[in-house]
Amino acid sequence: MAATPFNAPAGHEPWFKYGVATLCLEMAIAIAVSAYSLYMTFNGLGGFPGKH
Amino acid sequence: MKTHKVEQLIIATIGFFWCFLMWFSTAAFSPSIAAHYRLSIAALGLLASSAIWMAPIGRIVAGWASDRFGAPRTFAIILAGCGLVSILSAFTTNYNLLFFERVIVAIAGVSFVVGIQHVAQWFDAQEIGTAEGLYAGTGNVGAGMGALLLPRIFGTNYHAAFVWLGAIAIGIAAWYLLRGQAAKSIERRAAVQRRSNMRGTLFVWSRYIAIALMLAYAMSFGLEIAMNAWLPGYFTRGFHDAILALGFSGVAGVQIAAGTFAAVESFCASLFRPFAGFMSDLFQQKGWTPLPFIARTLPYAPRLHWLGIALILIALCMIGLTMAGLSGSLHASVLLLVLLGICLSFGTGATFALVPLLFPDRPGAAAGFIGGVSTAAGIVYPLIFASGSNIHLGYLRAAIYMFVPIILFYFWAARYERHPEEHGLISPAVLVAEQA
Repeated sequence: MAATPFNAPAGHEPWFKYGVATLCLEMAIAIAVSAYSLYMTFNGLGGFPGKH
Repeated sequence: MKTHKVEQLIIATIGFFWCFLMWFSTAAFSPSIAAHYRLSIAALGLLASSAIWMAPIGRIVAGWASDRFGAPRTFAIILAGCGLVSILSAFTTNYNLLFFERVIVAIAGVSFVVGIQHVAQWFDAQEIGTAEGLYAGTGNVGAGMGALLLPRIFGTNYHAAFVWLGAIAIGIAAWYLLRGQAAKSIERRAAVQRRSNMRGTLFVWSRYIAIALMLAYAMSFGLEIAMNAWLPGYFTRGFHDAILALGFSGVAGVQIAAGTFAAVESFCASLFRPFAGFMSDLFQQKGWTPLPFIARTLPYAPRLHWLGIALILIALCMIGLTMAGLSGSLHASVLLLVLLGICLSFGTGATFALVPLLFPDRPGAAAGFIGGVSTAAGIVYPLIFASGSNIHLGYLRAAIYMFVPIILFYFWAARYERHPEEHGLISPAVLVAEQA
């Protein structure tokens, strides 16, 4: 089976897919924080989650 | 005792996460401590900087100790010792004593190399990048979580926070001792223990490839911790008018905006790190070796290429940051910081996917040298950033005068097609003769 970046390639043990799922979740959190900061650069006080 | 490598990875990651939480807990409560003891700005700066004092030397010692005594015992001592002093610091009423105790608690930051050694003793070559990335990336989040959550949970009551942090650290230490196992096999453990002496340490320190990896880590993790301290001030000064134009006013408002923009680098650098380790595994699996000069036939050559790519990307991001700053675009600067954070994670993840493979019999000594000495760079970068009249040009200066030479040295040190660890400042025959 050909490996793709988010699939456990053949030869890896079962734990590997959970490891990949964890790293995907962590990346999603980082992207969310980045998106919020970028949103704030455009909208300033209108940014969520509250007004300062 | 029956165990599994995933259990060992979880124990190491939770231990490291908690250590990082303790490491930066002083900073999280520094406004409360400053108000309680009526500290000056200079005293506050000293308190903040003290967190990093023990890291360079402490990590070197911790790396050696984990080779010598095993990671579980070393990690448990760090957790229990720092936890105990954290509890004591909660009841201290004298500021000088509190400062001293918090410097001791900051030793928790040296635990990074112990866990690196522990994970290296359990995972095989084809998955070491992902395993080390998950350990280091997830554990690193402890620093950000501390700043984010501790003041919200405990308010200004740092005494209670220090007691809870210390008590839970002691609990994790007990768990580490009970369930932690130093290595996958007795043979693996014995091989590492046998080489944990002064000659072995000197051997690692004098290898060109180890020095290149140390510099690569200084260029990635060293820059990461420097930027954590530098960026809020950079945005406040470099983009003051742009932040005011967004509607933020007063010192508190500008601080919130600057801190939010600065946070993207820290979050991306920490949370993309497991992905960087995964990419190192993918490079290895696919056999990708796209860069010139760097070795192509070594068993781990693709991982060397992945690190080379990461270093080039970091230098390009720094040049981009200067250009974005000079253009006055806040959006471009934040976007470049996101990219820089991701590229920094590539650098840190790629470095520690290589360390256990290059020095399989001395993983602790190598992790201590590479992960320890490199943290001193965190002190140097802000001085370079602040040295010119234009605050935006500092990134370009660092890229030209520090990063380009580091990249060139890395390419030079990684060019050997056979046993790069044999090449160094001192002949390996002199250093390892009696260990053969």
